[in-house]
Amino acid sequence: MKLPKVEVVELKNGFRAFLLERHNLPIVATVLWYQVGARDELSGETGLSHFLEHMMFKGSSRYAKGEIDLLTSKMGGSNNAFTDCDATAYYFTLAADRWETALEIEADRMQGCLLDAEEFAAEKQVVLEELAMGADDPWRRLFEAIETLSYQVHPYHHPVIGWKQDLERLSVAGMRSYYERCYGPNRAFLVAAGDFDRKAASKRIKDLFGALQPVEERSPVLAEPETRDERRLLLKDPGSLTRICMACRTCKMGERDDFVLDLISTLLGSGRSSRLHDRLVTRENLASSVTVWNEVRFDPGLFWVAAELVGDAEAQQVEEIIREELLGLVRRGPSAAELRRARMQILANYLHESETVLDSALRIARFEGLAQGGHKLLRKAIGIYEGVSASEIKAVAKRFFAEGSWNIVWSIPEESVKQGRA
Amino acid sequence: MKAIQLRIGERVLGNGLCALAVQNPGVETMAAGISLRLSQVDETASEVGLAHLVGNCLDEGSKKRDDLAMAKATEALGAGFDGHSNGGSIHGPAGHAAKILALLREFVMAPAFPAGNLKRVKSEVLSAILEENDDARSVARRRFYAEIYGDHPLARPQFGSAEAVASHGPAKLRRFHQRWYRPAHGYLVMVGPDPVKKSLDLLEKRFASIKKSGQDRVSHADPALPAKRREVHIQMKREQVHVFLGHLGVRRDHPDFYALLVMDHILGTGPGFTSRISKRLRDDEGLCYAVNAEIAGSAGVHPGTFCAYIGTSPEHRKKAIAGFLEEMRRMQDSLPSAQELADVQEYLTGSFVLHLERNLSLANYAISTKRFGLGFDYLLRYSDIIRSVTRQDVQRVAQSHLYPGRVLVVSAGPAGKPGAR
Repeated sequence: MKLPKVEVVELKNGFRAFLLERHNLPIVATVLWYQVGARDELSGETGLSHFLEHMMFKGSSRYAKGEIDLLTSKMGGSNNAFTDCDATAYYFTLAADRWETALEIEADRMQGCLLDAEEFAAEKQVVLEELAMGADDPWRRLFEAIETLSYQVHPYHHPVIGWKQDLERLSVAGMRSYYERCYGPNRAFLVAAGDFDRKAASKRIKDLFGALQPVEERSPVLAEPETRDERRLLLKDPGSLTRICMACRTCKMGERDDFVLDLISTLLGSGRSSRLHDRLVTRENLASSVTVWNEVRFDPGLFWVAAELVGDAEAQQVEEIIREELLGLVRRGPSAAELRRARMQILANYLHESETVLDSALRIARFEGLAQGGHKLLRKAIGIYEGVSASEIKAVAKRFFAEGSWNIVWSIPEESVKQGRA
Repeated sequence: MKAIQLRIGERVLGNGLCALAVQNPGVETMAAGISLRLSQVDETASEVGLAHLVGNCLDEGSKKRDDLAMAKATEALGAGFDGHSNGGSIHGPAGHAAKILALLREFVMAPAFPAGNLKRVKSEVLSAILEENDDARSVARRRFYAEIYGDHPLARPQFGSAEAVASHGPAKLRRFHQRWYRPAHGYLVMVGPDPVKKSLDLLEKRFASIKKSGQDRVSHADPALPAKRREVHIQMKREQVHVFLGHLGVRRDHPDFYALLVMDHILGTGPGFTSRISKRLRDDEGLCYAVNAEIAGSAGVHPGTFCAYIGTSPEHRKKAIAGFLEEMRRMQDSLPSAQELADVQEYLTGSFVLHLERNLSLANYAISTKRFGLGFDYLLRYSDIIRSVTRQDVQRVAQSHLYPGRVLVVSAGPAGKPGAR
């Protein structure tokens, strides 16, 4: 598989655009990626990045509240946005003969968001409802608890949606200050993929984004100190199922270890023949599901293992098996057949992600947003996976999965806690 | 926008199986599937949950090899298989299309249903039932459908009940599979970069030998609309209350389907917060994060529902219900504006192409054109159909198909007293 070349446009104000031409269908996807996420929030203002993402649809210099959605809809397109710990991204998919409207919208709201006080107050209620919705989701509570345990100093400690007491206190003045500090051409880049002409696109991007003023560069944050202490937490859940989540801190996106950890997560948890699925779900019938993923970030990320237990499975036994299989990979690296299967699954994922222009654009954005020279690295990715050996997998597993590296959260039914079964 | 010419074709195999193929140029992946006209409606009283269980057991080993060997063979190709209540689908790199199709046949047509594996899958289904029981939104949704459909089989949860699932053994699964997984009951589809004829040849080579025989369908009377409004609340200790409001809907082949589709997008569904309900309840009043209402989306071979949903704080429950009912009545009492109609028509006609990128979307499109008799030229006619809907049509179908005075309201979560949280 050969990923197509991406053309880069760089403006004097620091704005960059990555253009991928593809003419399968007359559509274009754009992703405007801001290097602004929960990582950039100060104590007491958690949730600002995500809340600001909502406000970016509530009126800007040229587009009244709701007009961006209406315009997108009238053009037969779709748009949405997301915020995570490192970034906020806004994306559109539009027909090829009108896709430049997305550029006009993004250029306008990069520094022209109105942040109207009345709209701010109404949208705060929506965000608080979103928070309440998440509080009812046992997996979300589990994941947030792991992040809180895994990062004691680094801002990744805070949930992306923010703490309720912070959200309730946030003011429109505080949001304006954050917006003016963080949203600018040097903290953002654009990815466009689809049926367009690169030269014409490049000119339009220069015209629309060239005059925008740069803002402060991203500030460094406190690094999370190394620790060898395992941290544990027990959550009481009003439901009837037991769940476990374990995570250990790893590396930054784009480092060689990142690619090795992708292979490790596939070997452990992707597909029925993967080691943890085969053991926990199929052979021992202790879990109804097990999920393993390597989540790399701008700063060192996490390697996750999560499982949901069946009926009367013993929590302790499940944790022991997970640990056995993690250490098992250190002792007994993958066989040649296992490694071939893992590589093939990763390659197939890349191919599936290329089916749509939006997924293709988001993949470029993710690489570029989280790793230096990410779009170039993306072209080398498949080759890197091919070059990883079984002994390298053992070595990386040994380094990251050592005793004391893991933080563990159990979510146990309230009833069984009361009965002393936890 | 440029017109899209879809390359699509069909071939009826000697055993009566209808094979469909779509070319998706430029992709390096393929998808294929067998989609049966099979759902919980076809289960007898002693078979509740069986369609879902059979679908979930398709990858538990075949007559030739065990589950682990099949998983390894699939994963070695970079492929993935999913069993459903009505068949199964597979996807993977297009370069391995012939081998992937052979796997599809083995998964879907030759499952062994080993007793040990079935026991394990049943415990997984029981976990899924428990998970639903814990989730207020699922609890409310399930009760909503149970009340709307009454004695009709669609009232039953798709997973079945814990008792019913526990009662199903391997022999029962084999009999059910033998009865329903037959050519007369469904479609075979493949989508990928290969030309249509090449795909149809591959499908024919692999699936022409399946035996013909099958089972006749039992028909069920449609449920009736309730005479008056009714409310059910299920108390659960949660942050949000989940409200489902609505009544019985229409079939996909109802002549008002397209006018209802347009009405839905004015009233309660569609992109962003452009519909009346999402604009009012979320964007203006800040009552919720998730809200929608529609009737056309659930219309199928059997009648669907008109269903409005909101997840909100308990103190907003009454206001949200009042908002739904007011917007239903406004839809009936006055014509939509010319601008509203034009905006929705632009969206529906312009966005159709966005659903034609993925192999699986194209496969679903091909099956829908056959299942609902739309014809392969549906893509070309769709725009004219949507544009022919008038403001009067929208008001007329709102008056004919919305019943604000006879809705069922089901909610689950904390009670609606201020400060209940």
